[in-house]
Formats: sequence, C-alpha cells, structure tokens
Amino acid sequence: MKKPLLWLAMLVLVLSTFLAACSGGDTKKTSNDPKENDKDNAAEETGPQDGGTLTYALSSEFKGLLNWNFYDADGDDDIIAFFDDALIDYDENLKAEPNIASWTTDDNKVFTFTFEKGVKWHNGEELTVHDWVFALETIATLGGEHQRWSNVNTIEGAKDFNEGKADKIAGLEVVDDYTLKITFDKARVNNLENVWAYPLSRKEFEGIDPKDMAASEQVRTKPVGTGPFKVAKVIPGESVELVKNENYWKGAPHLDKIVVKVIDSSLTTGELKNGSLDMTPFHPTVLPEIEALDNVEVVRFPGLSYYYIGFKLGKYDGKKNVMDKDKYASKELRQAMLFAINRQEWVDAFFSGLGKPLNRPIPSSHWIAADNKDMPIQYEYDPEKAKEILDKAGYVDKDGDGFREDPKGEKFTVKFSHYATGNPTFEARAKAMTQYWEAVGLKSELQMTDVNLYYDQLEKDDPALEVFYGGWGTGADPDPLPLWGIESVWNYPRWVNDEAQKLLEDAVDLEVVGTDTEKRAQLYADWQKIFNEEVPSLPILELEEVMAVSKRVQGVKFDVSGSNSPHEWWIKQ
Amino acid sequence: MLKYSLRRILGMIPMLFLISIVVFSLAKLMPGDSLSGEIDPNNTDPAYIEEMREKLGYNDPVHIQYFTWITNFMQGDFGKSTRYKIPASEIIAERLPNTIFLGFSSILITYVLAFIMGIYAGRKPYTIGDNAIGTANYIGLALPSFVAGVFAIYFFSFNLGWFPSNGSVDISTTEGTAGYWLSRIHHVFLPALVLGLLSTASYTQFLRNDIIENSRKDFVRTARAKGTPESKIYNQHILRNSIIPLITFLGFDIVALVGGAIITETIFTYPGIGQLFLNSVSQRDYPVLMTLTMMFSFLTLFGNLVADILYGIVDPRIRLD
Repeated sequence: MKKPLLWLAMLVLVLSTFLAACSGGDTKKTSNDPKENDKDNAAEETGPQDGGTLTYALSSEFKGLLNWNFYDADGDDDIIAFFDDALIDYDENLKAEPNIASWTTDDNKVFTFTFEKGVKWHNGEELTVHDWVFALETIATLGGEHQRWSNVNTIEGAKDFNEGKADKIAGLEVVDDYTLKITFDKARVNNLENVWAYPLSRKEFEGIDPKDMAASEQVRTKPVGTGPFKVAKVIPGESVELVKNENYWKGAPHLDKIVVKVIDSSLTTGELKNGSLDMTPFHPTVLPEIEALDNVEVVRFPGLSYYYIGFKLGKYDGKKNVMDKDKYASKELRQAMLFAINRQEWVDAFFSGLGKPLNRPIPSSHWIAADNKDMPIQYEYDPEKAKEILDKAGYVDKDGDGFREDPKGEKFTVKFSHYATGNPTFEARAKAMTQYWEAVGLKSELQMTDVNLYYDQLEKDDPALEVFYGGWGTGADPDPLPLWGIESVWNYPRWVNDEAQKLLEDAVDLEVVGTDTEKRAQLYADWQKIFNEEVPSLPILELEEVMAVSKRVQGVKFDVSGSNSPHEWWIKQ
Repeated sequence: MLKYSLRRILGMIPMLFLISIVVFSLAKLMPGDSLSGEIDPNNTDPAYIEEMREKLGYNDPVHIQYFTWITNFMQGDFGKSTRYKIPASEIIAERLPNTIFLGFSSILITYVLAFIMGIYAGRKPYTIGDNAIGTANYIGLALPSFVAGVFAIYFFSFNLGWFPSNGSVDISTTEGTAGYWLSRIHHVFLPALVLGLLSTASYTQFLRNDIIENSRKDFVRTARAKGTPESKIYNQHILRNSIIPLITFLGFDIVALVGGAIITETIFTYPGIGQLFLNSVSQRDYPVLMTLTMMFSFLTLFGNLVADILYGIVDPRIRLD
C-alpha cells in the first residue's frame, strides 16, 4: 500500500514542477504600462477602497473543525483566523499583548482579565467573560480527551471539576460581565501564555453535550466567531465563503468577501498567474517561479521553525532521558560534523534560500533568542577546521582507505537517516549532507525511511536510527523545557546535561526570576551557549516563511506572529 | 436466475470476511498510527496522546482490536474518523455524491464518444477516418491519466481559461439553482474527460472490431442479398449484436463509479472518495480506511455479479444455473 502511494506522490510532485515550469516564461505582462502606474498613484492618494473578493488558497484539505476550541491541524486554523479573534494577541517578538482581553497581575498566580465592551458574536450576542468560562468548563469536562486540557488544568479547581468533585471551577471568579479573575494552582512565569484564551459562544452551543460539540454543525458548517468576517457557506474539504462583518469591533473590513479554497500545490503558480488566486502560502521549492510572476509579490517574514540534525545519545526509560550510547558521545566529533557542512549553500540549493543558518536551537525572532554574536562557537563552513578537530579527537585514517576510523581504531560510519514522504528533493538534500561529511573523511551512509515509520523509530529510540534529521516549530511560549528537558519525550537526542537542565528549570522558577523577563532571557542565553558548545543536535537553519500576495491586494503586513488583522486588507480596483 | 443470484450473494459473505481480515491486518502492519504525526510539543501533551491511544484501543492486541472493529462494523457502526472527528459514514456520505457525479459524467462521456467513434470506424474500416480514430485511441491508451490531467489543466485552464482547474463547484452560487448545476458541470467536465480517456479508447476499439467481425458474418450477407439498406444493416443487425459485450462492462463500471479516481481527483483537487481514501491511508485514519476498503471490495464482488447476470440476459445461450 505504501509504495504506489509514494510513487504517486512523487509523480504528482515531479509533474507539479513541470506544470510550474510550463506556466513560467511566456507572455510577460506589461507592468511598465504608464496607465497602470497612474492608477497606483491614484489609489495611494485616495486610501483604502472598499469592496472586492479575495481568494485565499490552502494546499491541503482542511478537516472542517472550524472552531479554536476544537481544531487541531493546519488548514483549519488559517480559516478560523479570518472569522474569530483570540482574546490575547502576540507582538513581533512573541510577547503577549491585549486584544479583546487585557490583564493585570501582581504575583503571576491571580490574574484579572478585563474584556472590551461591545464585542459581538456573529449571531448578535455580546461577548462576555461567561463565554470564556464556558470554553474552559467545556474543556475541563472532557479532560484528558481534549487536546487543550494541559492549557486548562493549571487553573485552580479544574481537576476537581473534571473529576466531578465540584460543579464549578474554583479558580474562575466572574466579577461582572466584563471582568474575570483567574486563580492558577500555583504561580508560574508562563501562566498567561499557557492558559486557553479562546471563548466559546454559550448561545450557539447551548444544550450540546461537550462530547458531541466537535461533530456539531456549529463547528463544521455554521461556525460563528467575533472576527472581521462571517462564515457564509462551507463546502466540506473544498472551500469556505466568508462575508464581511459590518459590526466588527475594530471597524468594518474593506473587503466584501474572502473565499478560501483548497487547490493542489501543483496548481499554485498557474492560478496565481491567471489572477484567480490572491493569496497563498507555498513550498520554498517553487519560489523562483512565483517570483517570476509580474502580478504577484512574495512577502517574506521570519518563521518560528528550525531544522536540526540530531544524534541518538541515549534512550528514554519511560520517565526520563538517559545518555548511554557512545558512538556519537564525542563533542568534538559533533562539532566537526557541523563545521563540515556548508549550510548557506545547502539552504540556497534546497530551500531556495528561504532560511538562515543558525547556531542555537531558538529562532532569531523569539525574544529569548540570544544574540548570535554571544555564541561561543560560530560554525562557519570550514572543512579544514573540521579535519583538524577530528585529528585531535583521535578520528584518523589508520588503514589508509581514505576514511577515518574512530579513536579505538575501528571502522566508523555515520549512519544518517532522513524521512521520505515522496518529495523528491528530500533524498537529494540528505545525500548532500553525507557528502559534506565524506569530504572531511567521515564515511557516511544515508537511509531514507518512510515518514510514519521514521517518527515511530525516533520516539521509541530504535537502534536503526543514529543520526537523524528533524525540525521543530516553536510557539509563543518560549520555554525549551518541553523540547530539551530531561523528562521530555520530545528530547529525541536524549541529551542530558545537568547544568543546562538547571538553567532551564531556573528560568521558569518564579522564585529565581520573579517577573523579570530580562533575567529570564539571560538564563536562556546561558543555556543556548551550553547547547552551542555541546551540539547534541546540529542546528541547521531557521526557516523564513513566505506568502504569495497578488499585487492588487493592499494593506497586508506579516510578522512572526502572522498577518495583521484582515479587516485592514483591501483590493485596488 | 433468482436462485443463482442468491447463491452468489451468500457466497460473498465468507469472501468479505476473509478480505476484512487481510485488510485489517495490513492496515495495522503499517508503521505508526493516527496519532504519530501529532508531534507539536506546543499543542500536544504526551499525556493526551497516551490517553487517546488507550481510548482508541491501539494498545490492545491486534486480534482484540479486530474483534471489536468487526463487531461494531456488523452492527452498522463504522467508527469515528480519527481525522475529521465525525462518524466515518458521514464523511463518506459527504464525499460520495461528488464521486458519483464525476463517475457518471465520465461514463456518459465515454459511452457517447465510444459509440460515435466506434460505429464510424467499424463501418468504414481501414479508411483515413478509421486510422485517425485508431491513432487517437492508441494515444489515449498509452497516455496515463496523470499526464493527460496535467496537459488538460495546462491547455484548457491556464492557457485558454475554458475550465476551472480545481474544486467541484463555485462557492458563490446558490445550491439548487440552474447556475449551481451549470457550475458543477463546468467543474466536472475536465476531470471526467481525463478519467474517461482510457475506457473511451478501449471501448471504441472493442466496438469497432466487433462491428467489423459481425459484418463478415452470414446473416449480414443474407441481409445484403435481400437488398436491406446498408444503414439498416449496420444500425440494427450488426449494432445489436456488437453492443452485447459492451453492456456487460456496465457491471465493472459500477466499481469505477463509486471507487473514485485517486489520481484524477488529486490532480484536479476534486473532493471525492479517491482523495479521501488517499488521505485516510497517509493519516492512518483506520475507520475511514477500513470502511472504504470494505465498500470497494463489496462493490467489486457486486459488479462481477451484475456483469454475470447481464451476460445471461443479453445472451440467452449462457445458462446461469
């Protein structure tokens, strides 16, 4: 069942490049037309124009769970963002800022949230704090069955409510319709970032059993929100039509309509060129073709994901990580392997240059990211240095076959694994990595593993996996503990370092850092320095996000936290 | 006939049972499960994944999982899709109309084109027209649908702008109006044409060869000797005989009708069963995957039965009992 699938996906991809190539080149539009320029100027002078329909494309089918409280995948969230607002927003450094709710706290344990007045649901009801309480109670009722339970169970009394010991969550105190006091079970530095900050309309979901809510039509085909657009129609798995919400609390949107549709990624370039598509995210590999289009602008903005090459240094014993594998235990070996990689060349070749090499496992735009200059080792491409480090560490060629043996004199082969999904560039880019290592004398072997099996092996520390390629997307909460902590399953390299662990624990310990973000950032910077020297996994690149936006669409801005509110977007007519 | 049909239908039961065992084991042998892709540490708590695995029964031994599944399946409970979080039957029912519409349009196009071309070529064999049709047919047979699909999109959607390249309907049309149906036909035409390409080519050649063969038979010579007009000979005497084998294909077309077209639906981003099946395999959405596989198996067996019965009806020489 796997093989034909892979083959099919590959064909589709190959053909997509073909399609894209077809639709490149020919018939250049006359963008230098003086008339068009006049129109540009006129539009700039008159300011935003009202009206028009914007078409937005998703490259994979959406699941149709159109509510923040129930969604769980890419695609759905792109659509929800058009019609529902979050209570709390994040700025370009991913620090929380008030949106509908603003807050005060003295001790990071008790927070008082105040709602904007006059925010209305699309069904006409006013949004009050009761809707938030309703959302929290719904999740707490479902408990462990709900994905967001860990964002709710830190509220005092939530666990009792879940177990049926209380009929209310003790930590939620409604002061009035616009004020809610939330008491957490203990003071933490990240209580605010962690708490579930999306309301759920009581009126819409009245009388529905929380278990059935995800399957209800209020979620799937007739969702409501508080955002700038209202959902007019949903064709499951295919498209969604949104019309403007005249009563949007931040002001009426300029656009009349947004149509979101799913198109196969091979059609992106052609549809953009035809003008039947106004905005879409796309895969970095098609960047050159999209940049060649005259009617489309490519907007780049910093991303929150990074890729790395990890080493299996141990295993997960069910509770915590234990470092007990010796093959890659030498720090010098790992450092040399990073010096051997020409990351810039690699990024240019396989990501169309949409990424930057980095020296720490935190994307630069995050507020806890340490300055690159402060990193002890700058891993510039330097094969000579790599060779020197290897020589010193005892990895020398003893039997004269051109490849280095390990310090004990035994044959040494780097076994590198990469996941295979059908994207034909994956094997090439993985092969390139092994070639960099072979160039400094490390014998390397590449193993492409089906993606599902790959993650299975990764999680279970299968001995077949030694050196692996991986990536993480990080969210608003900066804490690296879930990824690199001693007790974390996601710590795939199984790296344990007491000093690093202490720093991470201190950084979330209120008694050490208090509410001082400077101090917290400093601890994280120290942690990144240790990581930089130890390199339990080699940071390869941080991804730059891209969005193709038609030139007729104006007023769109992107930063690391996403786009500006769509009610500010407009179309030049 | 009735006895025969009943016997065949009863015979399907053990067959379907065996198929279910094989398919279930194969599905479970695939590495990973529906939760192994969810590794976003900011959104997903390991405790949640563990709890869901336990709840969905992924930790039970395979034979117990199979037993639970088949018991529910027999009672009409096909399970809840792990991906869409709604019952598998609902998600299939949501996509099925699209696929049936696509399959039906494609069969319609196939039959109309095959009849016109086949009759013409059969009547005037070895002429320029026949050779042209033959050439076109062999190209159609040789051209895989994913290549044809890409070319069709490139020429008819991107260059000429005649047909949309994706979707099943324009969302801004109101359901039930004439505009809505026109939009659906507009959207389905290109994928249906591509989907029907292969069978059009084979049906045409089949019909042509059969007509040529029949036109050499004794009853045709007799009819000519009696002075029956040529058009009557072809349209009545020969065509009736030549259609017989084609009609039996109808049974197999039923499977194609509902089975969807994985490749065509993917290239044209047409939300139907084929696309759903592909997604359910890659996402390990077992309930949907199993329900669809069982549906395909049943339809294949059923299509075979229909074909056999049709044989008996159109050709009384074949006795079914």
